[in-house]
This record gives sequence, C-alpha cells and structure tokens, in this order.
Amino acid sequence: MSIRESIASGKLHGYRRGLFESLSKRWVFVALTVVPALAVFVFVNLFPMMWAFAAAFFEVGAFQPTWQWTGLENFRIVLNDSRFWDSLRRSIIFAVGSVVLQVIAGTALALLLNRSFSFKRAVRAIALLPYIVPTAVLSFVALWMGNARYGIINQLLTQAGLIQEFVAWYGSLNLAMPSVIVTSSWKFTIFVTIIVLARLQSIPPSIYEAATISGASKIDRFVDITLPNLKGVLFIVVLLRGVWMFNKYDIIYILTNGGPVNRTTIASIYAYRTAFSDFNLGRAAAVSTLLFILLIGAALVYFHYFEPSQEVRVE
Amino acid sequence: MSGSTPNTPMDFWYNLPYESRQKVYNWMLNLILSIGLVIVLFPIYWMLATSFIPPTELFSVPNPLVPTNPTLESYIAVLDTDVLLWYRNTVIFAGGVVTLTTVAATLGGYGLARLDIPYKKTFARVILFGYMFPPILLSIPMFIFWRQIGIINSLPGVILAQTATTLPFSLWLMWQFFQTVPYSYEESSRVIGCSRFQAFYEIALPLAKPGMIAVAIFSFAIAWGAYTIPSILLTNSSNWVLTLGLYSFTQAESVLWGQIMAASTMLVLPTFAFVYYLQKYILRGFQATRI
Repeated sequence: MSIRESIASGKLHGYRRGLFESLSKRWVFVALTVVPALAVFVFVNLFPMMWAFAAAFFEVGAFQPTWQWTGLENFRIVLNDSRFWDSLRRSIIFAVGSVVLQVIAGTALALLLNRSFSFKRAVRAIALLPYIVPTAVLSFVALWMGNARYGIINQLLTQAGLIQEFVAWYGSLNLAMPSVIVTSSWKFTIFVTIIVLARLQSIPPSIYEAATISGASKIDRFVDITLPNLKGVLFIVVLLRGVWMFNKYDIIYILTNGGPVNRTTIASIYAYRTAFSDFNLGRAAAVSTLLFILLIGAALVYFHYFEPSQEVRVE
Repeated sequence: MSGSTPNTPMDFWYNLPYESRQKVYNWMLNLILSIGLVIVLFPIYWMLATSFIPPTELFSVPNPLVPTNPTLESYIAVLDTDVLLWYRNTVIFAGGVVTLTTVAATLGGYGLARLDIPYKKTFARVILFGYMFPPILLSIPMFIFWRQIGIINSLPGVILAQTATTLPFSLWLMWQFFQTVPYSYEESSRVIGCSRFQAFYEIALPLAKPGMIAVAIFSFAIAWGAYTIPSILLTNSSNWVLTLGLYSFTQAESVLWGQIMAASTMLVLPTFAFVYYLQKYILRGFQATRI
C-alpha cells in the first residue's frame, strides 16, 4: 500500500500507534534486515574460519574423521619449513607487484576515461570489459597467447624485431613471476578503474573551473583537487586489492601451477598442496591461520598509518 | 604566434596558440587511451579469432592475425561435450549468487545504516576482515560441513559457499550507500504515517537502486568466473560450471586450444552486452558510496 493510499484510507492512526510501539517492532525489523546477512556471513565465512583455527592445533587427515591433538606442532613444522617462507616471500612480491601495477594503471585509465572524447560510451564499455572475463578464461587465453612455440605474442614480437627467439613467458625461471603479475593485472586493474572513475565523476566540474579561473595549472588542479578527492577510494582499493591478490589462487594455479621450479609457488598454492597433496589438513589450517594473522596485522598497521581521518570532500 | 623565432622544441611548443597546444595535448592522451584499449581488446580478439581457426592450422607458425579460412569446427566439437549442461549450471550458479548477495547485502546494509545496533561500526569494519582468509582454505572446512549436511556437489551448496567471497564487500558497500540516501525522506514518510517497513520498501529501496545494481554486477563478475570454490565443492562433472569444464579440454598430451577458446567465447560474449547497457549504473553505484 502506498503512502498516499494509506493516508487516504485513514490508516494514519494505526501506523502512528505502531510508530510509538517501535521497540517491539524494532527487533522485528532488525531480524528482517541485519540477521539474514549476518547469518550467511557467520555460516559461510566465520564457521569455516573457526574450524580452521581449531584444526590448526590438531592432526587432521583428509580421510580419517578423528582429530589428534598436537598442540603447536603444526605451527612449529610450518614455521621451520623453508618452503613456507619462500612461498610467503613470493606472495608478498606477487601482491605488492600486482597492486602497484593495478593502482597506477587503473588510476591512469580512469583519468583518461574521465575526459570528453568521441564514442565515450562505447570506449568506456570496452575498457570495463576485462573485469567480467572469467579468470579461468583469461588464464587459458594468456597461456595460449604466451605459448613458447605457437604464441601470438612471440610471433608479433619477433616480427617487430623486439626479441630474437621465442620466449617461454610462463615457463622460464625469471619471467614467470612478472608474466603472472602482468596477466592478472590485465583483469584486476579494471576494478581500480571502476571505483576511481566513479569517484572522479562525483567531483563537481565547477571546482575545476574555479581553479582554472584562479590561474591553477593542469598539474596544480590534479594535485590539489583530484588527488585529495581520490585519497579515500585509493585507501580502500589498495587494501582490498592487496588482500585479494595476496590470497589469489586460481589464476596462478592455471597459468603455472606454482612452477617453473616453484618460482610462482605463492602461499595459497603452498597451502593447497599441503592440504591436497600431503593430505595434511591440520597443517594447511595452520598455514592459513598464519597467513590470516599476518594479513590482519598488516591491515591494522595500514589502517593506523594511512586511513584518511576524514575524507576530503571539496564541494 | 609571438615574434621570437623558436630555437628549441620547447620554445616552439610554447609559441603555439593555446588552442593548438590543447589539441595536441588531447590527441596525445587519446593516443595513450587507444594503446590501452588495444591492450584490453587484443586478448579478447585473439580468443575469438582462435575459436574460428581450423584446429589443424593452429600450430602453423606464424598464424595470420585474421583467420584465413574460418570454420565453426571448434564450436561443433565443443557442443559434443557437456558444455551446454555446464553453461546451464553456470547461469543458475551466477543467478543464485547474485540474488542471495544482493538481497542479503541490501537488507543488511539498510539495517546497519539506519538502526541503532550496538557496535555496528566495528561490525561493518570487521566484515572486510572476512577477506583476510584465503578462499582456497575456506573451501576445505566448507567441503567437510557441506558433506555433513548433504549439500556437497549441489548447486545450492556451492551458491551458498561462493557468497562468502561476494557478501563482505557487498554488505559494506550497501552500508556506505544507504548513508548517502537522505534519512529525512524516510522520516517524513514516517511522520505522515508510513510504517518502518513501508519507508524502507517505498522510499529507501528505490533510491538505493544504483547501489544494488553495482552490488549485483560485482557479484555477477565474481560468480560468472568463479573457479576456486566450485573446483573443490563440485566433484561430479555433471554439476560443473563452465569454468571447470574448460579444464577438461586440456589432455595429457595436447591442449585443445580451439575448443577452449570456443567455449570461452560462449562464456564471455553474452556478458559483454551487460557491461554496455549497465555501465552508467556501475559507475553511479560505486560513486555514491563515497569510499
């Protein structure tokens, strides 16, 4: 029933009484709104996490249902495993490399798209496409394009004279990690672009006009208007992308499966192998608990030093 | 142009009239943008082209940039597999994740923004910490729980599981979004006699449409391309989504590139129409969130 109808039909008093009795209604409303989201969150995020925290202290095989208490043994083994530390180092390289590339390229692309040019609607749509290309599709296309014997990238680069012989982009020791970073950034840069572009559009043009009239150069306008407005979005984008790239699994699994010679075995691949190749779920849980603690710590430091106290809104 | 003769390129540049300089500047930026667009488009184009190259010609180097004798061979070969079944599964899966995420995030975001709940700010922040746990490890306990309650290897089960990767950000986004919808509209509707629910349903919800569409697109992009969680929870190939099916075209000795690209094209192309028509909502949805 619409507002106008309810007023017309004289139900006004009933509803106002309902308003005064809001305490009882309030809890119904809480149950209707917050509780479903909370229930799903608890069930699919919190429960599995709690399970993993608990399992980290047990010997849990993949096939036997009984848990054997081992205390801190899992953590001790993982922390003494040099492969864990190597994979952690690679995760950090992968995450930092990807985030830097994505934030710079994504912001640049957003700035380029935020101007006026012909075919704006179509060009913008094209630029946003990579974000909905499934990661598995991207990985296979990249594998095919970067193929060491038949890849189109090798063909084009040889024809252009940039390389002498075909390169195994995902198979050579030194190129594998950069190739994986660039490949994943092709897609995830667009997440940065979408959010930054959205923010750029909400900056009123009148501010730029006023600045121009007062004699501000292009660079002045960028530094004093655009950047402060982007501070808030960049803060959250760096956080989310950093966490997501750190925990990325599927793209590396398909592109290199951790190879060549473990050069792209990041921590999530290491954890996967601990669980599904060694069938040691307890130790895998310990790995993920350690990664979780590490990320929480990094996030808290990040919040402490970089969270914009109050987002600058020049309006 | 001013009188002095240009000696260096910089002098020449600054002697040009403002309009010409602006034009050159704009063209340079357009050039950079076009390079960016080529980088974006080329992999998509090459996927499309490969799917039409006859499989026997794939390994003759160099490949022509435009397929010389295009054929539908790869598509026909792909249709012989379970690809349509996987496609159907993908559609149901993505639809389920989008619906569950959007409904839960919209209701939850409204509740968090409008109701006085103790510690809600802490809660809204802690939600993002749900992302700190690697999804691949989230799927192990899920596998065990899901098996116990009997929703392993089923689409509803995997829909619920995938929501773990979409809900936290979506909930946080809607919470932010509802803060930008003026509460005074709802208050005045309450004053003239609306119930709380009516104020939500008839006032706040329509105003929150751009945010809901942004959430729907975000969760669609994740669900349509999901790989990690389905790969653990869907062990039976008749329940696979198409991203898992792609892997079946890689065999021990050879990879059927033509078929992979044909199936990928089928998976990717329909979604491009969405982006074109919904791009203004994508931007508007993220815009009002003030993040």
